[in-house]
Amino acid sequence: MTYEHLRLERHGPVGWLVNNRPEHLNAMNARMRDEFADAWLELDADPAVRVIVHTGEGRAFQTGVDVTEIATDGVGMQRYRDSVERFDLHFTAWHQHVAKPVITAVNGICCGGGFHWIADADVVIAASDAVFFDPHVSIGQVVSLEAIGLLRKMPVEPVMRMALVGRHERMSAARAYELGMISQVVDPPDRLRDEAQALAETIARNSPAAMAATKRALWGALETGLTDACRAGALELASLWGHPDQEEGPRAFAEHREAHWADPAGPGHPADA
Amino acid sequence: MSAPYRRLRVSREGPVGWLAFDRPDAGNALDAVMFDELERAWRELDDDPSVRVIVNTGRGPTFQTGLDLVALRDDPAAFRAHARRTRDAELRFTAWQLGVTTPVVAAVNGVCAGGGLHFVADADVVIAASDATFVDPHVSVGQVVAYEGIALVRKSPMETILRMALVGRYERLPAARAYQLGIISQVVDPPDRLHDEAQTLAETIARNSPAAMAATKRALWGALEAGLTDASRAGALELASLWGHPDQEEGPRAFAEGRDARWEVAAP
Repeated sequence: MTYEHLRLERHGPVGWLVNNRPEHLNAMNARMRDEFADAWLELDADPAVRVIVHTGEGRAFQTGVDVTEIATDGVGMQRYRDSVERFDLHFTAWHQHVAKPVITAVNGICCGGGFHWIADADVVIAASDAVFFDPHVSIGQVVSLEAIGLLRKMPVEPVMRMALVGRHERMSAARAYELGMISQVVDPPDRLRDEAQALAETIARNSPAAMAATKRALWGALETGLTDACRAGALELASLWGHPDQEEGPRAFAEHREAHWADPAGPGHPADA
Repeated sequence: MSAPYRRLRVSREGPVGWLAFDRPDAGNALDAVMFDELERAWRELDDDPSVRVIVNTGRGPTFQTGLDLVALRDDPAAFRAHARRTRDAELRFTAWQLGVTTPVVAAVNGVCAGGGLHFVADADVVIAASDATFVDPHVSVGQVVAYEGIALVRKSPMETILRMALVGRYERLPAARAYQLGIISQVVDPPDRLHDEAQTLAETIARNSPAAMAATKRALWGALEAGLTDASRAGALELASLWGHPDQEEGPRAFAEGRDARWEVAAP
């Protein structure tokens, strides 16, 4: 498909998904929302892509739903409301059950609904001048889904503070790093894409099959109690027994060479459409 | 005293039971003998009324480096038994897996890699030497991360754990960063003071009511099992379980009289 508000690129084993609506601070209108659904599936299905990096063009990473557009185009608002009420969303990697590792590289302002792509990524890094805030309640909107994800992933108090202080305060990349919301601050900021590419290439050296099962096991830990999550995780562990990567990994390590992983396009767990 | 340990050093210092991995020439990696001995040692220390707190550490330059695949493959019966327990979620080598009621302090003395993270995830309190590092190489050698990552995800900022799991052996988390993130609560510098600091911390914890700490452990670990409201209901029962217990009277009295409390020591 052709994308109007997103840009997809491939650099080596890394697939890039770039928010490309900079004149609107990358706010998500109805078309962009549909494009996300396709873009995640396209990159996840591409056998040449081992790791996905998500970033934004311009001075913002993402500023959430373009309420103006959705509310004024006639049908957009009702369609959006229906999808939210049914929790039938398709614009993040988590919504789309992406099996590959996903790195979010926050290039600037991340606010409101932009937190969806922080909450739903595996790894998050940011430029040193990136800022985070959640203006929902300052404009009479509810904070819900993206914060629910964040609450399970990081200290709760900063998320509640952001949700309730709204647009009147911003969190710096440095503070987000202290709290473990992100794992790397890139300075100077214009090195963000190079650092993201380097990190993605490092991750791409690991077994795709093992990483996919690891993602299912660890994200599954947010779904149930600890004991039940361990039971489900045990099945993910055992699912790789007999897989060629499980033999190849230790062998390559012993022989001091890079491992040759099985083709990840082989039998697996395809994302649902 | 039971049979001697070959892969562990189990000792007592005052009210503190020490459980040290003792296979330094193999990075303290887990083999079949160590699996069996860990189950025995946790139970022995937990059942010993003179042991109020358990410290878990490693001898030599590493803390724990996880499964010794080579050694286990030389012992097919043990390998099959471990595989079955892994698959069926019936592992029995950490304090959490065994339901240890005594407080457990992990004192990470060096590299903690892969399956070594089980002992960080499943401890109540974790401290580390300033030169300790954490790394999870599983996916770099074609293996899946599950148990230890699952528990760490529930206890720590998740992004850190996912990054460690997906970057694999190409990056290490230093003790200072683990401290910032709350994965550990104390960095000991210089590193050779780790043993003394762990003993001091354990003796401090040992001054508290064993019965109250055991119920507290059940209530707080239970919080990881259920939603907030359900966990609070179960926790309320743990609270009430101590009403009428001698420690509940003795504690306030000793505090008012400016003396150390004399706690009831539960029979094993």
